[in-house]
Amino acid sequence: MLEFLDVYARHADQWGPRLADAAVVSARISILGFMLATVVGLILGLAQEASSRIVRTVVRGYIVFFRGVPVLAILFLIYFGLPGVGIVFDAEPAAVVGLGLAFAAQMAEVFRAGLGAIPRGQWEAAMSAGFRPAQTLFLIILPQVVRIIAAPVIVTFVALLKDSSLASLITVNELVLEGRALATEYFLPLHIYIWVGAMYFLIAFPLSMLAKYLAKRARGARA
Amino acid sequence: MEFWLSTIMPGLLTGAVVTVSVTVASLLIAVTLGFGLAVLRQFPRVRLLNFAIDAYVEFFRNIPALSHLFILYFGLAAVGIKITSIPAAIIGLGLIGAAVTCDIYRSGFLALGIGQVEAARAVGMTPVQTIRFILSPQAIRVALPPLGNYALQLMKDTSIVSAIAAPEIMFYARSMVTSSFQTTLIYSSAAMVYLLMSLPLAYAVTRLEHRFGGKANA
Repeated sequence: MLEFLDVYARHADQWGPRLADAAVVSARISILGFMLATVVGLILGLAQEASSRIVRTVVRGYIVFFRGVPVLAILFLIYFGLPGVGIVFDAEPAAVVGLGLAFAAQMAEVFRAGLGAIPRGQWEAAMSAGFRPAQTLFLIILPQVVRIIAAPVIVTFVALLKDSSLASLITVNELVLEGRALATEYFLPLHIYIWVGAMYFLIAFPLSMLAKYLAKRARGARA
Repeated sequence: MEFWLSTIMPGLLTGAVVTVSVTVASLLIAVTLGFGLAVLRQFPRVRLLNFAIDAYVEFFRNIPALSHLFILYFGLAAVGIKITSIPAAIIGLGLIGAAVTCDIYRSGFLALGIGQVEAARAVGMTPVQTIRFILSPQAIRVALPPLGNYALQLMKDTSIVSAIAAPEIMFYARSMVTSSFQTTLIYSSAAMVYLLMSLPLAYAVTRLEHRFGGKANA
């Protein structure tokens, strides 16, 4: 056991900075991907309530497609597949777009549940008080929705953060790919992959705990 | 079109057989091990056991599956424990899945309320009998829709075992790309094959949700 830990002590100053740099890339694609997922998800969530049947069908189709196809298949399609029809992405933007579009489907469901929990009367009251639709949405409805959906939003972010590891398979130099590079350099894959796993855990675990706490509080508030 | 029929689709469907096998095998591990953990977690007095189960769940739920698979497949091989790719995939996804289903069953148990336990105790049932005959049958019913959702997620997650060389759909897609360069066609066909498998599953989940009531958030 001590021997095992000793390996870390000897290599910490070689591995540490490189994995820290890679963690920045992981964080960047996760955050940018999540921002895209939030924007697209909100639009989809609102559009699901649209009066036009065509709009609703398109949104349904989007959600069914992205819920039914693995994130990895989407990343491969964007990064390796689209150049075949002339659309070329660099690896990192491809990862952001792929993660963003895939998780937008999940965010759409989260927003739909949140928007559905706000009584229609809120919209009507705000509009009759002279608010425009956009103002009603951003000033009256969303602030309330945010409180309801805080926990599932964090859960979705953690899932996206974990799936950002798939970007390693389309050559984005994030944590897992840097881990692979180190593993081949030092021939210590067990040590290195445990370190990599620990770095994800350090971010994901506190967020998961926060989500649990918020969910519990929300249940308490409703009861 | 001919190339698609003669080469791409047969390749992807060969992979799909492995995808389905890995999904079913790891699903079996996940639903049984997860149930065991959730039942053990129902005995509130054994602190250490509860801590161990919680630690198991958080460990597997807060680290990417890819990271777990690399530890199992590349990491353990370096210290002399060699697991070939398909068993490593099944064990890895099964252990991760047990953490997920443990949470699902637990919210099933939580949904039942303390009155059930008190009533069972009042008619003289032991704690084990209460769990066996009163709580479990009800908790499993509540857990069915989220378990179905999990199965769908698992089927999609098997795509990442291509990274440890298990020959499923994405693995075949990648190897066909290196020999034919039809990237757009191959990867969109792969997405379509997944979609064809997940649509019936998603439909079944919707039916379960209608039958057994609302979505319990796991």
